[in-house]
This record gives sequence, structure tokens and C-alpha cells, in this order.
Amino acid sequence: MSKSELFNSHHRLTMRLWLPLSIIASWAFLATFLPLFSLTPDAIDLTNILAPPSLEHWLGHDELGRPVADRLISGAQTSFFVSLCVVALGVSLGGVLGVSSAYLSGWIDAVFVRMVDIMLAFPGLLLAIALAGALGPGIGNVILALGIVGWVGYARLARGQVLALKHADHVLAAHAIGAPPWRIIFHHLLPLIMAPLIVEASFGIAGAIIAEAGLSFLGLGVQPPAASWGSMIRDGTRYMLVSPHLVIFPGLALMAVVLAANMLGDWLRDRLDVKEQSSRGKS
Amino acid sequence: MTHFLVTRILSAMLAIFGVICLVFLLIHLIPGDPVEVMLGESAQPTDKESLRHALGLDLPIHQQWWIYFKGLLHLDLGTSLFSGRAIGDLLIERIPVTLYLSLVSLVVAIGLALPLGLVAAVRQHTPLDYGAMGFALFGMSIPNFWMGPLLILVGALWLGWFPVSGQEGWNSVVLPALTLGTAMAAILARMIRSSVLEVLGEDFMRTARAKGLSSTRAVLQHALPNALLPILTLLGLQLGGLLGGAVITETVFAWPGLGLLMIEAIQQRDYPVVQAAVLCISVTYIVVNLLTDLLYAWLDPRIQFTTGDG
Amino acid sequence: MRTSFHDYDYLSPVCFAIRSPITCFMGRLSVFQLSWGKWLLVFGLFSIVGCSESLPDYTLRFGLANAPTNLDPRYATDATSARLNRLLYSRLVDFGEGTIPIPALATWRKLSPTHYRFDLQEPKPLFHNGTQLSAYDVKATYASILNPDMASPHRGILQIITRIDTPTENTVDFFLTQPDALFPGYLVIGILPANLIANRHPFHDHPMGSGVFQFLDRPDDTRLIIERRADGQRVEFVRIPDPTVRTLKLLANEIHLVQNDLPPELVTYLSAHEGITLQQRQGANFAYLGFNQLDPVVGQELVRKAIAHAIDREHIIQFVLRGRARVAQALFPPEHWVGHASLAGYTYDPEEAKRLLKEAGYDHDHRPTITYKTSTDPFRLRLATIIQYQLDQVGIDVSIQSHDWGTFYGDIKSGRFQMYSLAWVGVKSPDIFRYAFHSDATPPVGANRGHYADALADRLMTQAEQTLNKQEQQTIYRSLQARLLDTLPYVPLWFEDHYALASPTITGYQLSADGNFDGLNQVRWLGSPSVPPNYLARHYP
Repeated sequence: MSKSELFNSHHRLTMRLWLPLSIIASWAFLATFLPLFSLTPDAIDLTNILAPPSLEHWLGHDELGRPVADRLISGAQTSFFVSLCVVALGVSLGGVLGVSSAYLSGWIDAVFVRMVDIMLAFPGLLLAIALAGALGPGIGNVILALGIVGWVGYARLARGQVLALKHADHVLAAHAIGAPPWRIIFHHLLPLIMAPLIVEASFGIAGAIIAEAGLSFLGLGVQPPAASWGSMIRDGTRYMLVSPHLVIFPGLALMAVVLAANMLGDWLRDRLDVKEQSSRGKS
Repeated sequence: MTHFLVTRILSAMLAIFGVICLVFLLIHLIPGDPVEVMLGESAQPTDKESLRHALGLDLPIHQQWWIYFKGLLHLDLGTSLFSGRAIGDLLIERIPVTLYLSLVSLVVAIGLALPLGLVAAVRQHTPLDYGAMGFALFGMSIPNFWMGPLLILVGALWLGWFPVSGQEGWNSVVLPALTLGTAMAAILARMIRSSVLEVLGEDFMRTARAKGLSSTRAVLQHALPNALLPILTLLGLQLGGLLGGAVITETVFAWPGLGLLMIEAIQQRDYPVVQAAVLCISVTYIVVNLLTDLLYAWLDPRIQFTTGDG
Repeated sequence: MRTSFHDYDYLSPVCFAIRSPITCFMGRLSVFQLSWGKWLLVFGLFSIVGCSESLPDYTLRFGLANAPTNLDPRYATDATSARLNRLLYSRLVDFGEGTIPIPALATWRKLSPTHYRFDLQEPKPLFHNGTQLSAYDVKATYASILNPDMASPHRGILQIITRIDTPTENTVDFFLTQPDALFPGYLVIGILPANLIANRHPFHDHPMGSGVFQFLDRPDDTRLIIERRADGQRVEFVRIPDPTVRTLKLLANEIHLVQNDLPPELVTYLSAHEGITLQQRQGANFAYLGFNQLDPVVGQELVRKAIAHAIDREHIIQFVLRGRARVAQALFPPEHWVGHASLAGYTYDPEEAKRLLKEAGYDHDHRPTITYKTSTDPFRLRLATIIQYQLDQVGIDVSIQSHDWGTFYGDIKSGRFQMYSLAWVGVKSPDIFRYAFHSDATPPVGANRGHYADALADRLMTQAEQTLNKQEQQTIYRSLQARLLDTLPYVPLWFEDHYALASPTITGYQLSADGNFDGLNQVRWLGSPSVPPNYLARHYP
């Protein structure tokens, strides 16, 4: 079949791994080394208002004459920073709580399960919006709101994994030789449940990027003059009739990174052979 | 069966109770003095005191909680600080509008996801499969608030087929429902694919094929109904995403539902309305999930009614 | 054209019988659409379809950025409410297009410096409930504004009225505490029926006046429907906060009129479309930055002067407003009779601004921080971001807080702000100075929201009010404006031009000089048969 030869393994690996990896890598690079570039994302230049893309400024200028390219990179930093913090917060908090709960079992576990159920009873994004609304706008509050919502999925996953592993031979053996609980958790359980957690985290990054952009789109995230892809899209939609580049570029950037994170998650899941979690819809 | 029913309903009620407690605490999450935040800084002390009293924020917290809870039992959600209207009335106006959008989106999502997922599963590892799954991946990755404006541009301005926004005429629901539906269709299509693949591998399917049933008929007659079962649960869970996503989509399309109410209330610092909207959406979500679970139990003959929720 | 086609959905079948063959054909199409409705009904969605029922045709839709906050003229202070109230109520005195008061409901005579007699002109209008407007209604309206318990924000300037008499049902006598040359110009508030005032009728929600239009319905907080009494032409005001959506809806002919509140780019974009007509006039609405004088930072005159020097108004007007404004130095434009053409304003001078800040005790390490409140309107937010940047350039940290218009305006009215930007709209008469700047006019009595208190300014206001010589009054008001520019309770920004954009389906809308909606009195619908009002009336109980 000549058609499917197109999708031979080499080709597919390029598509499934290297493409998303390069997108994520350049995103992370731009975000981390932002200070090295001499960018002026906030510099207002009234003479350049809504200037279309040109040779000198590839992506043109926005409604205040600020360079869109610079703001895009500054927005990359915002999304990178927020999603990294949110996922790190979620994985560490959720992982530790989930593992401990499963390990300790008994009434602690029962209470924990109920708590998780209640948190999962909120549609995630809705709770994040309400929390961000209550805490007030600002990047710190966005991280807090998304973190509060995000840890539950990881906790539930970690708990489920540990319950399945708890009676594995090496854990029972460690018990038998009198290893302290923290040692069992950190040395014998956590390494084994890392794979599904990593898969979940890579999808979590995609979710966090969209959520941050969504909150900023609603005006609950970064505040002017700071740049976020979400707020750039929101501002861009107001001028999409006259300057479509303002809404197209941040949207493309956002979609590319989210797509890359999702593809990477898919690849990791297949590679690490983790079964698709039906809980993903919840978190 | 009764045991399952009772435990499931009890756990749903517990979840509702928990949601009420958390929503109650929302107003106390406001940094600093919530009354000051609601009125704006440098508010008159007398204004602050009267609002504090009106909201009962001058009482000890357990008493506040009890008053809030008692009010809910009487379906009294308080009054809006902004418009002075009863919040219950506001919700009753907005709920059907959001529900309508959600249901149409659900129809869009299923209508898109079913053929995509089926084709992908039946033609596994062919360009068709990759195409469908690639499409699904795109659908998952396009944010609502980007797709919405693009759809407005194309569907309302260039083609002129649909109203730009708001709820006017029967066709105004199309664009927001497409926006919401595609994101959900993407996830659904992936689930349908893997679910159908799983069923295709099972014994009864091999038997059916061995009996000479054409593979299309085998899939439609035997595989699909079985594959749809796990998807039912997912559908319930997805509705949560739908209701959450509706907040953004309603903002983009000025769709006068609960989500828009909530965003406006946040902008108006009308926190009692925010609380009520969150409560309302979450409770709907719990109830829908309860119903899908019960439906699942009723549909699936294999289920054992001794366990609680999985 | 899809316009009328779209609007025909859900008309009752009875209507089809009286239509021409073409509309009958459309009617058949809509029967098909109706079956969609039935299809949905199967799923128990009947109530929802009911919600989505579109209005009957021939309703002219007017897109607004902000909903009116109060349709009771005794309380309305925001521009949208005031403009709508002009349509719904009639008033004793009007300013028309000029800056000199002219008779509206009544002509007046000055019987003594403190005694004015107003004679209602025939024909006296009917209230929308059918009763005829009389002198008693005039008295009741002003009496209720003067009642301190009613806490009307317009009470401040009207407090010079000591007594209102009604010798006949066509005559009202106003007695003043002191002579005031501007007096008849104060009586611009819409007249309410006396019996409804007595019954505490909720005018803010269900206005009842004697204007050209009558109130019909307010289906939700985004829509308001009124009807022209002469011919039953309906006008629906639709609140569409997003300017892009307003633009798109005008292009799609879902709304037919927009006025102001659009980014200049979209005005240009729209006016380039065939059929869309753009009207433009120089405006006199004064945009300014307001300050809380009680605040430790912006309460300092030096800081306000630094701000005045830090903002590059010329460039903002040239590039952001695209020339659709002119620089303002005072509340009144030069062409107004108290306007002061030779006022020397603050030039854009960042160095001077830095120097002033240093003088006020701020420097690099100790920068002043200001919270700047504005509405969520994207164009206002855009201007705010520019001002934020320009202030940052001279060493002032600004954080922007944007709120929904109603919330924002509520904050400003009750003095909850450090710095904000807003505009005075439709100001005609210099009594605004007492209303906005007199130390006694702090809310709720007046609109001195920043608690500006300056003995010299107070004295000038009193002097001007006591003078009956217009020339002298003019001189005093000019020195008052110089004083205000010197002490800066407001940093003056600019006067924005007015513009109205109309879809090709309507005609006859005249943009007024102060941006009010009076053009709706003459607007006509193009390209449709005239509609018998009783046919339309069936859609509203």
C-alpha cells in the first residue's frame, strides 16, 4: 500500500515527536531567554498604530503601536511561566497528597476521596474563573486559581496508581524490612507512578496554557500593559476587521503550543504505555 | 440495585453539600475586606457597614454559613448588589438559555464525533484514521475564544448566514454551538475510536464476522451500541467542560446565559451573583453526572450493583 | 438581502394573509423554520424557543455601548440616560442646538429678579397614560427634586428655588432666594405626572413622560424598546458593549444606527462601506482626568501638574483619535459664550513633569503610584494604557482598574477613586461649575466627586451667580476657568467629535450638536411599506 507508506515509522516519529518537541523547545527558549533579547513589548509608538507586518517588523504593530512580535514573545513568557507553575504545583501537591492518602488509607483516605469528589464536582474552568474573579486580576492569582483547580486530577491519578501498587512485592518487602513510610513512598512508589503522572502533566500543560489565555481573554489574567496571548487575542478581536494580524498571530502561537503539548502527551502516553485516563475530561 | 442507587444518590448529595460549602467560602477568599472590594476602595464607612450587615458578614462565620444554607433550602439566593433583583429570578432567566446552547452543542459534538471516531476505528492506521485523529487533535487545541471570533468573521460577516452575536432568531445558536461543539467533538471522537477498537477486538465481534456479517453492518449493529456505553459516562463528564467552556463562549457571542451573567457579575463586583452562578452550574453538573451514571447502570447488564462509585 | 427574511421568523400565520405574494413566499419559508421550532419542542425546549423569538420587523435598532442606568430624569446623571430621557419626557426649557436657553414646554417672563413666571404653551402634551400635562405636574416634579429625602443629584443647583406656585393650571411661578441670570437654564429636567410621583411610581424602570416617544418594554437589561407616538415607529436600544460586534451588526443590518463610542479605525472602516452613511460634527463633550483631592498622592497640586505636562494630547488626538477631537483647556470650548480662547494650557513637557515630581518629593527610587479607574470599553482602556505609558515615562507608576460601566460610574459618583477619566456630556450652562467644583457640591448634593475645595473658586462662582450683567459674568467665569486650570481639579484632555453611522435602510437621522438622540424624532425607515400601528401593537400587551 503506497498510501500508508507515507506514514512509515520514520515519518511518523518526525510528525509525532520532533515537530511538537521543536515547538515546545522554541517556546521554552524564547520564554526563558527573554531578557537576552532587547525587546520593547510595552513601548507605545503612536505613529505606528495598527501598522501591518513589514520587513522590519515581521508581525506588525498593535492598536497602540507596540511591536506584535515582541509582545508575542512576552506573551510566550507569561504562558510558559504560568503553565509551568500551575503544573508543578499540581503535580507536587496532587502527587504527594494522592500517594499519602492511598498509602495511609483508613479514614484519612475516605475523607480525602470525598474532598477530591467535591472538587471534581465543579467544572474546572468555571471554578478557576470564579476564583480568579474573587481573588482579583493578576498573574499570581491566575496561578493560584488554576493550581487550586488543577491538583485534584493528579491526586486522583496518583492515588489510583498507588492503590494498585500497594501490594506489589517490592513494596511489601520494603515494609517487611521496616522501611519508614516516607522512604517507601519516595523510593518505591513515586518512581513507579511517575509515568502516568508525566503523561497527565503534559496534557496538563496544554490545559494550563489555554486556561491562562482564557482568563486573560476574560480580563481576569494579566493586566495592561503586560502581554498574554489571551489578552492579545481579546484586544485583537476588536480590530480584526481592520488589522486581522492582531488576532491571527497570537492565536496561531497559542494553538501551535497547545497542539504541540497535546501531541507530545499522546506520544508519551503511547511510549510509556499508559492507558488513556477517562478522568481527563474531569480535570 | 437499590443499594447502588442509594449510595450513588447519597454521594451526589454529599458532593452538592461540599459544593455549597466551597461556594459559600468564595466570598471569604476575596483578599482584604470583601465589602471594601465590592464597594470599591475609599467607600464611605456607613455604606460599608450597611452592606456588611445586609450580607450578614458582621456575624460569626458559622452563623453566616447557617443563614446561607437556610436561604438555599428556601431557594432564596439573595439579591444582586448591582441590579437589586432577586438572584433566583436572574438565574431562572438565564438557565434555559445556557441549557439550550449546551444541548445544541452536544448535538453538534455527537454529530461530528460519531462518524469521525467510527471511521477512524474501522479504518485504523489508514490516512483516514490519521486525518480524523489529526482533525480531532486540532479541535482539542483551538481555543474557544479564538475560534469564536474567526467563526463570526466567516459565518456572520463574509457569508452573512448567522447573526453576529446575541440570541436573536433561531439561527443565532449555530455559531456558539459550533464553537463549543467542536472542542467537545474532538475529545469524544478520540474516545469513540478507542472504545470501538476495544469492542472490535472482543469475541462476539469475531463471531459476528465469522457468521459472515459485513464489517460495516457488524460495526453498526454490534460494535457501536456496546462502544457507546463507556462514552455515555464521558458525555456526562464532558458536560462539565461544556458548561465551563460556555462561560467563555457566551462572552464571545454575547449569549445571554449563565456564563455571561457570571462574567458580568465579576466585572460588576456582584459576588452574590457569582456565587449563585457557580453553585447553579456545579449542581447541574453533579445532577447530570448522577443521571448518566444511573442510565449507565440501567443500560449495562453486566454492572454489579455492590460497588459504590468507581 | 437576508435582513427582512431573518426577521420574519415566528410571525403568527394570521399575518401572512395580508401580505403581498413575495412576503407570502417568505412566509412559507418561515413555516419551514417554524417546523424547526417544533422539532426542538419534541425535546422539551419550548420555553427556550420562546426566548429566542425575534421582534417583529420595522423596529429600528440603535446600538449602544452602555445601557441607560436610570430613566427617572430626577436621578439620571449619565449621558445615555439623559439622552433617552430627552425622548421620553418633555421639559420646560431646552438648549436646542445652541448654548442659550430657549422655551420648550413653556415661555417665561422675569417678573422680578427673584420671580420667574412660566406659561405652558398650547398644545400641552399628553402623558403616555393619556392625562394632560399641567402646571401641577411641573410643580410636583421640581418639588420632589427639592425634597432632601429624595436625594436627587440635581438638587444642588436648584436649591435657589424657595417656592413654586401654580396660579392656574397653565402657569408656574418660581421664587428664588437670590437673583440668578442663568436661572431658566436650570429647568431642563423632564416633567413627570404629579399623581404618579405621589404614588412613588418606579420611573427608573417604567418611565412615564410626555415626550415624542413612549416607553414600551424593557425585556432584559440589554434592551429597551420605545415607540414614536406620532406614527408607532419603534426604536429598540440594544446594549452591545463590544465595538467590533456593534460594527459587525451594523454591517449585517442587525442594528441600524450607532453613535459615538467606536474606535476611529472602525469608523473609517464602516464609512468606507457602500450605503453606510457617516455624519460627523465637532463636539463639545469635555474629556478629562479627575482626581481625588483627599488622596495623599494626587491630592498634591504638583503631582497633578506633572501629570498635565506628561500627557501628549496632541499626538494622542492625531494618531489615536485620528484627528476626531481638539485639545481642551477648560470645560467649555472657546465658541461657548463663557469659553476662554486665550487660556494657556499645559504643554507636553516630560522634563518639566519630572522636575515637578522631584519638587513634590518623588524620584527614581520613590515613585508615586496611582490607581487609574476606567470602564471596560476597549477604546477607553486603550487610551488609559497610553496615559499609563506616558506617565510611566516621567516616573509615575499607574495601575489600571477597569470595571463594567455601571460599576465604574457608580464608583466615580460616590467618590471612590484615586484617578479616573470621564467626559462631561451635553453641558450647556455655566452652572456646571457650582455642580462640579463648589466645595459644597460634594456627592450626593452635587458632582464635586473629587472633593475639590478652593476658596477663590468658590468665591468666583458666587460672584458670577450674583451678577446680572452678562458681560461681567463672562469675565468672572473666564477667570474661574483660569483658576481651575491653575489648580487642576481636572486635567483637561480634549473635546471629542460626534459621529453617527446609519445603515442604508434608514433615512432622516440628523446628528445633533451635543450628541443627543433627538434625530430619532425624524428618522424614517426606507424600503418597507408603512406599517399600521395597530398591527404592531398586537405584539405587545
